[in-house]
Amino acid sequence: MKILVCIKQGLDDGKMSRFDEFALEEALALKDKLGKPGSLDVVVDVITAGPVHAVAVLKRAFGMGADRGIHIITRDIGYMPAFVTASNLAVVAGRQDYDLILTGIMSQDMMEGQTGPMLAEFLGMPCATAVVKSKMGTVPGIVRVEREMENGYKDCLDVHLPAVLTIQAGINIPRYPSLSKMLVAAKKSITTLVEEDLFSNPVSPKEFLVAIEYPDQTRAGQRLDGSLDDQVRQFQSFLQEKGLV
Amino acid sequence: MKPILIIAEVMDGSIRPVTWELIAAARVIKELMKNNVGGKKDSLKIQVIVPAQNPLPLAKKILSRTGVDVLALQIPEDTAYTSEAYKNWLSPLVRVCDPSHILVAHTSQGRDFAPGLAVRLEAISLAGVNKICSDGDLLLYYRPVLNNTRNMVLGLESDLLVVLTLMPGIFFPRVSKVKSCGSITFKKICRWSGQPVRMVHQKILKQENNHQILKTAPIIVAAGRGIGERSNLEYVFRFAKCFLASAVAASRPLVDMGWIGYDHQVGITGASVAPRLYIACGISGSSQHLAGMKESDWVVSINKNFQAPICSNADLCIVADVLPFILAFLERE
Ligand SMILES: Cc1cc2nc3c(=O)[nH]c(=O)nc-3n(C[C@H](O)[C@H](O)[C@H](O)COP(=O)(O)OP(=O)(O)OC[C@H]3O[C@@H](n4cnc5c(N)ncnc54)[C@H](O)[C@@H]3O)c2cc1C
Repeated sequence: MKILVCIKQGLDDGKMSRFDEFALEEALALKDKLGKPGSLDVVVDVITAGPVHAVAVLKRAFGMGADRGIHIITRDIGYMPAFVTASNLAVVAGRQDYDLILTGIMSQDMMEGQTGPMLAEFLGMPCATAVVKSKMGTVPGIVRVEREMENGYKDCLDVHLPAVLTIQAGINIPRYPSLSKMLVAAKKSITTLVEEDLFSNPVSPKEFLVAIEYPDQTRAGQRLDGSLDDQVRQFQSFLQEKGLV
Repeated sequence: MKPILIIAEVMDGSIRPVTWELIAAARVIKELMKNNVGGKKDSLKIQVIVPAQNPLPLAKKILSRTGVDVLALQIPEDTAYTSEAYKNWLSPLVRVCDPSHILVAHTSQGRDFAPGLAVRLEAISLAGVNKICSDGDLLLYYRPVLNNTRNMVLGLESDLLVVLTLMPGIFFPRVSKVKSCGSITFKKICRWSGQPVRMVHQKILKQENNHQILKTAPIIVAAGRGIGERSNLEYVFRFAKCFLASAVAASRPLVDMGWIGYDHQVGITGASVAPRLYIACGISGSSQHLAGMKESDWVVSINKNFQAPICSNADLCIVADVLPFILAFLERE
């Protein structure tokens, strides 16, 4: 079985997007459960599309236990929405027969939650988003998932492989990279591709970025600085004024 | 003029209230397009598709409440929502209708099918839109980025179809006299469409919870990742004890990490609360968290970063390291 996990480096902190850690853990747990130790009957590949320094997240993924890494080096076009990323990933993922493709539910920087479902559509695979439980092996060729809905409801469904799942936080507890794996990781080779080589005409967004703004303020947001003592005192008078004590 | 198309959100056979917000947003878009440079003065149509096993009563409800055109789409018996089914059912209908916009709720269901539908229709897809305005020429769409600390403002390159998933709780339905001019069309989906079925809905589960404690507490002290360590929860509980009839809540990551039970989670996938006072300790104020507590009378934030979005959504922002602040408060009590 071949699993692909799509991971992303955060624009803000340079780390692997938090939700992607859950996706990778889910793949690794599946490998631990279904694969024979040391064999490659279950392979976990990780892929990232991003600038040169995004390779750091692949190394971290190796440290967690991923087998192989693919890096699509993207152009610097400033605004890189899920549509472009999913188009890039689809070209590479489409060349291999992955049984399962996992992504995080969304990235923390762009917050679109669209890469997984768009990738699935490009590849003609079914897609379940916000997965909080996945179970494989009961019925061959099927992954049974629970999707999270609002207010504590969950939708249970059977999804035929190959499929794309986007993984919600809380599904597992992601492992930390281990030192021994990190040492092995240093020697692992990464397949590097350049966006321009994937297409004769790289995909560009059809929408354009006009501005980046602060969100609207919904409340006064009175700022309390000063020493802890002052802050505590002013907090207490706030409570008294509003009749909250 | 091309119509604006809305996909009503149906769950368990009834219309979810977010559908009214979608219709309100369509009216905003209609107004903006009319006033734009070169805007056509003839009336833009708004049409709602309502997919359900028994869609007619739902369609009637939408028509009587809003006066817009409704397509009552009868889905086969024993079928339920899956992203695959929605994409298959909706894409041919959308092609016939040839809209300018498709509006979908930014909910667990909308987020699930809208991006794939957009790809299939070769449309642009913007997720989580929380504001729409116009620069006189172009419509501008706002959506949150960078952990909700900023909004990205986007314009569209061309007259391409755009699929928008709209953040709930933003576009408020205006109550106005309905000039009913719309009508209902009925359409039935045949079971076999030639496409293989690769997603089979099994059942809906309800997670047991006891959110009642949170919902009735007049004062809530809520902990987020900013408290640093699990053991620090003890101080949050002691802080809460300083208030009469208080309860302790948490942001989702604390529940995900197993630090505290789901009963304590506030937000879009947890409890919605509206206490007299909500004290957010080390919580950044993501839209998913805010959705569950923005109805509180008073909100106080304790956060070391004044740039955190919670600070634009709080009445009082104590800019401090949360643990030392709580300890100082406990000492003075
Ligand atoms: C579909 C979906 C549903 C979701 N549902 C929910 C939900 O129901 N409820 C929910 O809460 N989240 C939900 N989330 C998660 C949400 O997106 C955020 O990840 C989450 O709310 C962040 O929690 P937080 O504020 O505790 O953590 P962070 O965002 O990490 O914020 C921590 C804050 O603490 C501050 N801080 C750090 N150290 C200190 C210190 N020493 N002293 C003071 N302040 C400090 C930081 O400045 C920061 O603002 C959902 C996400 C998705 C995708």
